[in-house]
Order: sequence, then C-alpha cells, then structure tokens
Amino acid sequence: MIGFDFFLDRFGIFLSALFLFVGLMSFLYALSSIRQKGHRLEYYLMLLLIVGSGIGVALSYNLLLIFILWEISTFAIWRSIGYYREEKAINAATLTFIINFVAASIMLTGLLILYLDNGTFNFMDIRVFNKWAIILIMVGILAKSVNFPIHIWLVPAYNAVPSAIGGCLAGVAENLGIILFFRLFASGNFHSPDFLNTVAVLALVSSLLCGGAALLSNNLRSLLAYSTISQVGFILLGFSVGGYGTIGGMLYILAHSLAKSGLFYGVGTIEDSTGNDDLKSLCCMHQASPVLGVSMALLVGSIVGFFPLIGFFSKLWVVFGAVERSLYFGIGAIVAAVFTLLYKSRFYHELFFSKPDVCLPKHKRPSNAGVAVVFILALTSLLLGIFFYQPVQYLIGSGG
Amino acid sequence: MQIFGVDFFYWLVFLPITGVLLGFLINRLRSEFSFIAFVGTLFVAINLFIRSRSGPLEPVSIASILGINFTIYVDSLAGFVILLNAIFAFLTWLYALKAMAKNPNEKVYSLFIGLTLSAANGVMISGNLLFLLIFWNILVFSLYGFLLVGKADSSRAALKALVLIGVADYLMMLGIVILLIQFGTVDFPFEPRILMTNPWSSTAYICILIGALAKAGAIPLHTWIPEAAKVVPASTMAFIPASLDKLLGIYLLFRISYYVFDISGSTPIRMVLMIIGIVTILAAVMMAMIQKEAMRLLSFHAVSQVGYMVLGIGTGIPVAVAGGLFHMINNAIYKACLFFTAGAVEHRAKTTMLDNLGGLGVKMPITAICFVVASFAISGVPPFNGFYSKWMIYQGIVQLAGDIKLWPVFLIAAMFGSVLTLASFLKMIHSLFLGERPVALDKAREASFPMLFPGAVLALACIVFGVFAHAVPLKYLILPSLPFGVSQFGFWSPGLATILILVGLVIGLLVFLLGTATKPRRAAVFTGGENLHEESDRITGPNFFSSVHTLGMLEKTYQFGEAGAFDFYNYLLSTMRSLAAVFKSVLNMALVYGYRYIGELIRDLGRLAARLHTGELYVYIGWLFLGGIVIFGLLLIL
Repeated sequence: MIGFDFFLDRFGIFLSALFLFVGLMSFLYALSSIRQKGHRLEYYLMLLLIVGSGIGVALSYNLLLIFILWEISTFAIWRSIGYYREEKAINAATLTFIINFVAASIMLTGLLILYLDNGTFNFMDIRVFNKWAIILIMVGILAKSVNFPIHIWLVPAYNAVPSAIGGCLAGVAENLGIILFFRLFASGNFHSPDFLNTVAVLALVSSLLCGGAALLSNNLRSLLAYSTISQVGFILLGFSVGGYGTIGGMLYILAHSLAKSGLFYGVGTIEDSTGNDDLKSLCCMHQASPVLGVSMALLVGSIVGFFPLIGFFSKLWVVFGAVERSLYFGIGAIVAAVFTLLYKSRFYHELFFSKPDVCLPKHKRPSNAGVAVVFILALTSLLLGIFFYQPVQYLIGSGG
Repeated sequence: MQIFGVDFFYWLVFLPITGVLLGFLINRLRSEFSFIAFVGTLFVAINLFIRSRSGPLEPVSIASILGINFTIYVDSLAGFVILLNAIFAFLTWLYALKAMAKNPNEKVYSLFIGLTLSAANGVMISGNLLFLLIFWNILVFSLYGFLLVGKADSSRAALKALVLIGVADYLMMLGIVILLIQFGTVDFPFEPRILMTNPWSSTAYICILIGALAKAGAIPLHTWIPEAAKVVPASTMAFIPASLDKLLGIYLLFRISYYVFDISGSTPIRMVLMIIGIVTILAAVMMAMIQKEAMRLLSFHAVSQVGYMVLGIGTGIPVAVAGGLFHMINNAIYKACLFFTAGAVEHRAKTTMLDNLGGLGVKMPITAICFVVASFAISGVPPFNGFYSKWMIYQGIVQLAGDIKLWPVFLIAAMFGSVLTLASFLKMIHSLFLGERPVALDKAREASFPMLFPGAVLALACIVFGVFAHAVPLKYLILPSLPFGVSQFGFWSPGLATILILVGLVIGLLVFLLGTATKPRRAAVFTGGENLHEESDRITGPNFFSSVHTLGMLEKTYQFGEAGAFDFYNYLLSTMRSLAAVFKSVLNMALVYGYRYIGELIRDLGRLAARLHTGELYVYIGWLFLGGIVIFGLLLIL
C-alpha cells in the first residue's frame, strides 16, 4: 500500500502551471462578473476546488488518490453549474452530477480490479491490465473528458454555468480524464494497439459528430460546448495514437485550455453587454470593442490551428501521429479540422461582422475587465506560438 | 551571407514586420518606419538576388524539433522571387500611401503589407516543407485581416478566402506529413527527386498541389477573388491576388513539381494539371467578358492567367515549364500595373462601373498609356512580355505531339483564351479611356505621383521584359532556376520583331500624316435626322459583347455562373452542412436510444421494487430469510 503523496514530473508541472494560470484568469474575470449577493463566496470555494483537484490529479501517482480528487472535482462542478439556482441550472447540475458520479463509480470498479490484479495503486507499477478493468476505467474517462457517447451533460452544463466558472470547466476540469488516460494507457506499461485504436476511432467519431453539431448550432454556449467536445476528441486522438501524437496532445491541452477559456470569457462579456446569446441576432461586435475582436480572432485562430498561435503545432503533431498510425486516422483528423475551421470562422464572422446595415451597436460597451482577461489569454497563446521552442523542448523530456 | 553582421534571413523575415509594427505603435513616424522597412528589405533582397545567381547558398540549419528542421535554403529560384516580393511590396506601399489616405482603416494597412511580405519571404527562404507550411499559415491569417480592410463591407469575401485557403492548407499539411512519414525527409534539396510511382507519392503530391493551386487561385478554388474585387481597395487586389499570391502559389507548384517530385514521367498528373489549366483560362475569361465593373473584370483575368502558368508547368516540356515560370513574373507585372492604373482611375472618377466611365485618355494620359501597355501585354500582343511567355508555352504544347494525342485541344484552348482576353481588354480600354466622356468626369485630372509611379515602372518592365526577353529575364531569372536545360527556342527573336513592328508603326504614321486622315470631316451625331443628346446616348463599353451574353446555351450558363452555381465554396459549405445535419441527428438518436431508454429501464426497475414494499411484516421476514439462505449458500460454495 502506498501513501497519499504526490510526485513531480514535467507533464505534471506543466499542467499545474497551466491550471493555475487558467484559474487566475477565472478569478480576475470573476471580480467583475460575479456580483450575486448571498452566495458570492461559494464561487471562490468552487474555483479553488476545481483548480486544486486538477493540480492534484496532475501530480499524484496513486490511483485511489486520483479517484478521490476526481470526485472532489465532480462535486465542485456540480455546485458551480447550479450556481444561479434557476430551474435550468439545477436540472443541468443534477444531470452532470448523476452522469459523472455513475461513471466514476464504474471507473472505481475498474481501478479496484487493477488493484486486485497488481496489488498496488501506483500506476507506474501496474503491469497486468485486465480487459474489463480498462473498459470500466474508460467509461469514467470518457464521461469526465466529455466524449461521445457520454457527452450529453456538457451542453446543458455550459448553458447554465456562470461564464467565470465555465472557463475553468473548459480549461481544467475536462482535462482530468485525459490526464488519467495519459498516465495509465499512453505512457508506461500498457501495450494494446487494438484498445488504443478503438479509443482513437471513438475520439475521431466524437470529434466529427460534435464538429457537425457545432456547425449547425446557433446558441453561443451550445456552440462552445460542441466545440469543446470536438477538440477534446483531438486530444484523445493524439494520446491514443502515440508517438508524435503524444506531444501533440499535450500541446493541444495547452492550446485548448487557453483558447477555450478565453472564448468563454469573451462570450460571457458579450452576453453581459448585449443580453443576447443567439448567434443569428448578434453582429458587428468589432465596432463595440476592437480589442475584443482581435483577441477573439487570435483565440479562434489558435483552436483552428493557424501558425503564430500555439494551436498550429498541436494540430500538426496530432495529425502527424494519426497518419503514422493509419492514413484513415489522418484523413479523419483533417475532416474534423475542416469542421473546426468552418464552425469557428462562422462563429467569428457572425459575431463580429455580418449584416452591418441592419445591426447598429445599440448595446453598452463590453466590460473592460472581461476584455482584458480575453486579451491576456490571446496574448499568451500568441507568445507561446511564437516562442514555442522552449515549451516543446520541455515537454519532449516528459516521456512522450 | 551576412548583412551588417546579421544573417540575411533574419533581415528578410523580421525587418518588414518589425518596421511596420513600430510604425503602427508610433503613429507619428509611421511612413518613415514603413519606408525603412520596405526599402531595407529591397536592399537585402537585391544583395541576395545577386549572390544567388552563382548557384544555391549553403543551407543553414537553425534548429530542429520533432520532425521540423528549421533550415534556410535559398537557390536561384527563391532568390529572384524574393526580389520580386520586395519590389511589389514597396510599390504597393507607395501606392497605398496616397490611395488609402482617406480610408478609416489606413492605420493597419501597411501593417498587413509588412506582415504579408515577412511571411512570403519566409516561404521563400525555408528549406523544409514543414517550415514552409508555418509561414504559409501566417499568410492565411494575414490575408483574412488584409481583406477585412475594405472600401465596403468585405467580411464575407474575407470569410470565403479564409475557408477556401484554410481547407487547402489542411490538405497541404496532410500531404507534407505523408511525405515525411513515407520518405523520411522533407528537406530541400531533394536528392533524388521522388518519382510518381507509388500511391503514397501521388497522394502527397495532390494534397500539396491543392494548397499551391488554392494560393495561386486556379479554378475551382478562386471564387474569393472576384468577390473581393468589388469591396477591397485596388492596392489590395494588386498586391495579393494579382502579384504575391501568384508568385507564392506558382513558386510552390513549380517547387514540388520539379524539385521535390518529378512529374514529367507521370502522364495522368500532367493531364490533370493541363486540364485545370485550360478550364481556368477559358471559364474565367468567359466570365470576364460580360463584367460591367472594372475591378471584377480584372479579377477574372487574374484568375484566367493562372491557367497559362499551370498549363505550362503541367506539360512537363522544358520550354513550356520555363514559359510557365516566365508567365508568373509577367503576370505579376502587368496585372499589378492594371490594378494600379484602374485604381488611379477609380480614385479620380469615384466609380468603377464601366457604364459611368469613358474618355479619360485625354485627362489621364500617362495612366492611359500604362494601362494600354499592360493590357496589350496580358493579351499576348508582341513585343510585350506576355506574348513571349505565352509563345514559349505554345511551343511546349506543340512538342507534346508525340506524347499526348490531345495536344491540339490544349493549344487551341490556350490561343482562344488569349483572343478573348484581347477582346475583353479592348472593351475595357474603350470604356475607361476612349469614347465620349460623361459630364461628371470633366474635372478628372492625372493621378498624383505615388499612384502613378508604380504603374509606370511596371509598364516599363512589360516592355523591357518583352523586347529584351533573352537578355534580361530569361538569362538572369528563369534559366538559372530550372533543374533542366532548355534547348529549343523557335524562330522568334524579340529584338528583330520589335524593330519590324516599330518600322511598321512609323510607316503607318507617315501614311496617316501624308494622307487625308488628319483632316476628318466633323459633324454632329445624329440618328434618323435627329441630333442626339450626348450624355444619354454615349456608347459605353459593356455593350461591346452583350450579344455573347444572350448566345443560346451560354445565356443560362452565365446566369448560373453569376448566381454562384460554379462556386466551389458553396458546394463545400453545403456538403459539410448536410454532413453536419446527419451527424447531429446521429447525436440526437444516440441521446434518445442511449439515455431515454436506460432512464425508463431504471424507472421501471424502481417501480418493480416499489411493488415489493407491501408494508406487511411477513413479507419482509420472508425476504430476510431468503437473503440469509443466499449468503449461506455463497459461503458454502466459496
């Protein structure tokens, strides 16, 4: 039996830094946007729990400890989605909690089977991988890192969550499943090409289906939710194909966390200033705030994968790993990337341009604090993209 | 090679963007900083060009990470394209200084020119396809921003460009990755070149080819160009679709076709390229014929000319490949000149509708001369440069005779395209500079120096590159850049021909002066005995070929074409949208079957359990005993 202690490796340190940064941005954004009387402190508690459990999962090698932190994260997500106490929010929170809790219980069964087979919870010492155990664990991973077919909690959750927490949800909490996947299956002793190929197919299917759904949705937050699912599919694809894909997946976590939380804050800012979250009726936001326009363009570019942003390298190396495994994976990834390009460019175009004749800016200016947070995240993505060499060198040493 | 102690490639990539960025931040010194940036880059480019005439520079490796080698490799081909990039960027900046002065977005305009130039130079110096892809990606981003700076709402055109070129870039990424995985390296120079013998190399080639053609603007990936023409300033059109995109796209096409791969042994791929070429030539020029707006008309020609380059490079015959490459330079020169001069007319006349223009030749003589020279060059009239490159392409097609049976089709299509180009430019010259002048334009005057200078330089280049084709462009630019020798050159000697043409012109002038032509009889215009009001009965250009528009089968085709029926973007979008609809319904079905039924199952089980709670003590005791027996049994078995 091993104690509840932590270990440091490059991947863990990298993730801790990332989660802390995303958490800090959420905090800054919340200073101006969370103004509820009464339970205002609850937000800060939940923020700390989400970030803390994320860092804990990234730094622990004990599967039981990972599970405990995982459940703390689930609890914090549940409370923060229901933050506004409306009926919609409570329903979404209940759905989230039930799905995540049931999936985590199934995962716990798998973890216990691994323990019985190996006699240890230390994932570095696990050598016998029971077939049923990994399937049961996979259920938990797919539910936490929203993947088809256990993705359904994310859309209502995104629609209900306060945008300050939403950024953290996208940037921290959804990565837990991927971290566990990396620790157990993508590094170390696990070798089963069939299983990894199955996961890769599942990830691609999820990415394609939700990319399609994102192209058709007109609600800002639903679009972000589907976009998250399709991007997480890319990350999982990268880790499951291995090789260059692993580095691609790690960088993808970085790119996606920064960009998606930034987009979430941007959307939150726009909602606050216009009181509207329908893509069809919003337009011309670039007149209201050019800085927001440029920042969101950079964030969208990072997710789509254009060069001066970090998203380019993550996409490149995921595609690289996918083609190395099989050309079909490569083509699938490219089609999913085309979907990403289409829905993201449509999102940006409809939001910031389109219909200039009918739509004059009547709403009040977006709040400066929100715009500043989005700008910082965009600038970080840009600088990381330009000076990508050091982070990537650092990650190469992390056993990928 | 070092300049002021710093390697040349740092200058080429960082000087333009740094200069314009400083100019953007320090508003007061914007012009000064931009001037230093562009002239400095030009200086470095000239140095590099001279150095690269004596063979490729030694490759420099900066770094290497995960399959991407950051290698600098400049050979003769890249050397001259870098020079052309710098020249066009400088001319565009000079032109925009005046032309964009009143545009509200003028501040960011030179920023985008500098960014685009930096990225384009980066493409040229990179000695690794993945490294090239990085710079290629910056170009997509900067193009989107560039197109957003419009004279009207240009966001839709920008979106279209972003999507079309972005999709092509993804395919290019796939192609390069396949190449790297299958052949182990994507470093220049490729020794030996990859032959088109296995399916992997063909797949990789076609993927990268799509990226190159999308950049160059060949059919069917061109549709953003005519759409942008109406809404963005003339200098944007002159810089991006007319010159820089052609240089980049055709550079990459040539690079992959003869330096990375060797397509001369693969007939199917050459056929594909040649067919794309002639379709591009003919379809775009047919659309150009009926246009009523100057910029849109020119933009269709910008597409049409790509066809010649693709056709020439696709033949695989050395002389035609050289001709295709030569045509790339020529096209950049005359097309940029046309956009610059048409933009000057727009600047003075405040309109680009051909119906409302006319008779400006007297008011703007230098602009008119430049425009006429460039339009003769694009139509392939000797002795201008466009003729010579087309002539080389025709020669190559004739040499296909033993190889491809269809060669007369290609030849006739290419020549017919040239004729139609001349026809539509006659219409355009008439509408802009000849004929009756509308009253509104009486106050028009010659363009100012910054707007005149770029056009004049380029018009001069049209003449020089045509008359001294052997002595200047072919000798210094084209022939050193080819991986093979060019043998046969036909019987055309541009110097002699020019002298003969000049003699002919002098004789014509003499006849004109000596004859009665100088003393024409002047009379008022009348029809059926009634004097016409000049303004309402002007003969405007758009009527020239209006009969083509109503020509039986063509009429419907034109209607569909103008409505966007041949727009690849629409097809792409609708295909992806219908796929998306299918995906969304799959998601919904998964929701219904996966969750609703599970939920109902659990609820039914709950009801069943509820039935067992009858509230009677005996039943509970019965359950207790039953449970005890089961546990006991289990203990016995285990």
